[in-house]
Amino acid sequence: MSDLTRRDFLQASAAGIAATALTPAAPGAAAAQAAAPRTRIRVAVNGAELVVDVEDRWTVAELLRDHLQLTGTKIGCDRGECGACTVLLDGSPIYACSYLAVWTSGRGLTTVEGLASGDRLDPLQEAFIAHDAPQCGFCTSGQLMTAKALLASTPQPTADEVRAALTGNLCRCSNYNRYVEAVLAAARTQRGADRGEDPR
Amino acid sequence: MSAVGRPTPRIDAVSRVTGAARYAGDVRLPGMLFARVLRSPHPHARMLAIRTARALALPGVKGIITHQNCRVVWSSGDTRNTRYLFNNPVRFVGDAVAAVAATSVHIAEEALGLIEVEYERLPFLVDAEAALADGAVPIHEGGNLSRTDDGHLVPMAYRRGDVEEGFRASDRIFEDQYSSAHVNNAQMEPRVSVAAWEGDKLTVYASTQGISNCQRDLANDLELKPEQVRVVCEYMGGGFGNKNQCHDFDLMAAVLARETGAPVRLELTRKEDYIAVHGRWPTRQYYKVGVKADGTLQAIQLRGYSAMGPYRKGSGAISGTELYTCPHIETLVHPVYTNTAVAANYRAPAYPQGVFGIESLMDHIAHELKINPLDFRLKNATRKYQDKLPYTSYGLEECMRRGAEAFDWSGRWRAPASDTGIRKRGVGMAMGAFHSRVGRSSAVLRLDGSGRYWLHVGVTDVGTGAKTTMALIAAEALGVPVEKITVISGDTDRCPYSIGESGSRTTNFTGQAVIEAVRDLQRQIAEKGLPTGEGTIVGSATPEPRLEGAARYAFAAHFVEVEVDVELGHLRVLKYVAAHDSGRIVNPLTAVSQVKGGVTMGIGMALHEALHYDPWSGVPLNPGYYGARVMTHLDAPDVEVIFVETEDAHGPYGAKTLGEPPIIPSVAAIANAFFNATGRRIKDLPMSRERILEVLA
Repeated sequence: MSDLTRRDFLQASAAGIAATALTPAAPGAAAAQAAAPRTRIRVAVNGAELVVDVEDRWTVAELLRDHLQLTGTKIGCDRGECGACTVLLDGSPIYACSYLAVWTSGRGLTTVEGLASGDRLDPLQEAFIAHDAPQCGFCTSGQLMTAKALLASTPQPTADEVRAALTGNLCRCSNYNRYVEAVLAAARTQRGADRGEDPR
Repeated sequence: MSAVGRPTPRIDAVSRVTGAARYAGDVRLPGMLFARVLRSPHPHARMLAIRTARALALPGVKGIITHQNCRVVWSSGDTRNTRYLFNNPVRFVGDAVAAVAATSVHIAEEALGLIEVEYERLPFLVDAEAALADGAVPIHEGGNLSRTDDGHLVPMAYRRGDVEEGFRASDRIFEDQYSSAHVNNAQMEPRVSVAAWEGDKLTVYASTQGISNCQRDLANDLELKPEQVRVVCEYMGGGFGNKNQCHDFDLMAAVLARETGAPVRLELTRKEDYIAVHGRWPTRQYYKVGVKADGTLQAIQLRGYSAMGPYRKGSGAISGTELYTCPHIETLVHPVYTNTAVAANYRAPAYPQGVFGIESLMDHIAHELKINPLDFRLKNATRKYQDKLPYTSYGLEECMRRGAEAFDWSGRWRAPASDTGIRKRGVGMAMGAFHSRVGRSSAVLRLDGSGRYWLHVGVTDVGTGAKTTMALIAAEALGVPVEKITVISGDTDRCPYSIGESGSRTTNFTGQAVIEAVRDLQRQIAEKGLPTGEGTIVGSATPEPRLEGAARYAFAAHFVEVEVDVELGHLRVLKYVAAHDSGRIVNPLTAVSQVKGGVTMGIGMALHEALHYDPWSGVPLNPGYYGARVMTHLDAPDVEVIFVETEDAHGPYGAKTLGEPPIIPSVAAIANAFFNATGRRIKDLPMSRERILEVLA
């Protein structure tokens, strides 16, 4: 398979199926590709096990966006300054622009596309909407993923803990107040859910 | 009001939190090539030769354009001079030299390194005043003062009364100088364009604030008919100015796509975004102000210099004096060519830097006259536009009173430098005003047989929530729930002309068009009845409201308390209240976000944001988020927002301008709070730790 459509991928994810071998390539790049060494990796992306022949120079952001059509992960700076590309690697946030795809072999990636289960949004996504956290929305995926990791490790953070955790995620709309509000609200919802309360 | 004024989550919010929102850079087309741009390492140089053969021989390279084979003029890249996509000589570090399209980004980048350019270095200028000195190298024929709109080689001038007479009538005269730095827009989304041809029709997926203007410019520069160009912008990752036209990389992508016969995606790096696109013009401002002993202003004189880079994209204006009632004013502002990054519009282009100057000086005058800064402003603030025309609605005084009350100004204000410890608290305030225009835009509203309304508006929603605002205005005018309305936006093939999202005009211009389109639709329904089955009724409008005999402005007053650590040079914001008169607030949820964001951006501009140039090499030293020090979560204080909803007879339901005003007073408010805390004043932006420690030494 030389290419993988987003639909194929999502179906694969939904089915939770076993490994699919992929050799993604930019069309027509065969000659130059010969010079670029590749490594076969096995990586779980949003729960779907994939086997991919990645160029050794590809970053995780490149793998996700250019070869798996998961464009919800954004690149803002491509040099580890802004956090727009944040995804979870085995549950911990990484800057996908500054992490090589080959290093993810044998591990699991979660992207913004993996947050909702079907049509059911994650409490963080719900809170982001209700509190108007995304303005232009370009940093939002990264803010969500960092917040997801925070709430997993610190289910009831203080506002200062939220700021500290998210400070590697820049927002040029500078809607920082809203992001903090939203994460705190999601934490409250999550606590309510843990106690079996109806969050609404 | 059933829809307008009700806090409403964005209608496209789900797509923004699930990753489904498609931005220009997410567009993937079959056979798409990837392009990169080679840029000048020199601030000013003539290219003697460009050799591209080695790069072209690299497998995967499909096309290279340079000034030798591409003579496309980028008309919106300069309002005074002919600016090509590739210029010789190059005039700043980052000026485009070549663009390469290849089968992958990696190959395109590798190819850049194989292009050989011979440069003859020329003298260069990074400072606006130095560029006007006798004997300075002319960056363009005719010298370095950029001409006025009507072609004269004189500074931009505004005069009322006679300042000399005003100075003679004054009891005290104050003179001072202030400066501001180049600050980048730095929207999160990298600059990107995807261009594809089908026959002689060009489609460009752009990150633009104005699809209509972008289409017009592309057609003009590529010698096409407007209908041959389709511009699509479904989502865009932040505007903040100067995106209401086409960019050089849009044109480069289109030319490369035509040359190679394949779609081309051209994305700039973050470094290129900083050094090669544009930012706020840095200024130097010299003021002379005359005042009566009781604090009544008599005369304001400003001589200003704005470094525009080598191409004149923006006005270079320095605003702020319009905030005051004063019989005699003279401002002379010089937009100057320099060999630095191009300066152009960035959120309230002429304002926060000018307001920093004038509001710092007025604060100083109030202090010298032993008048509370709030009382000084209540006494002298503008009441009529240019002391002449009435405002359509006026909430500046109420912004000050309500803001001061919420802030507890009278309780918190103390004489400057009252704290004796290491950490000194202080409070400051500043005013702002922003032109709230009315004008032409279009909307089309379609009602189908099922009772659903389809609203076609050419907005792109730069992050302000414009799609939601348009839906709310339509829902209000129709008297239906907002869920009944589908907004079609961001596509010139599917949307009518739109003014574009600059000048904070969308709510006012396109919102008014939406109301008129609803009226047109309702007239037709009254005649023909509701559509049934396959039936459709389409209403449309292109109103062109005008305003005569009055001026329309949005106003603001900001109050801030800071704590300055005099040993570390660190300034921390403890409390911030922003009071805004933007007329009727259409969507309080998104409006509050706009204010919080604008204030926070302003704090960054006040304290640490700048693109610095090495005067010896002309090289920008700190491009990028980290180097130029944008605000982070840990820097951002809580901002309390107050809306003073004055009644305004113009604009949709009386809405005035909102997007740009929040950044206007914030820089000055922080500077004034620093003075109140320490008794020292910083007159040059940004107020970095070095500068704080310097003035406290």
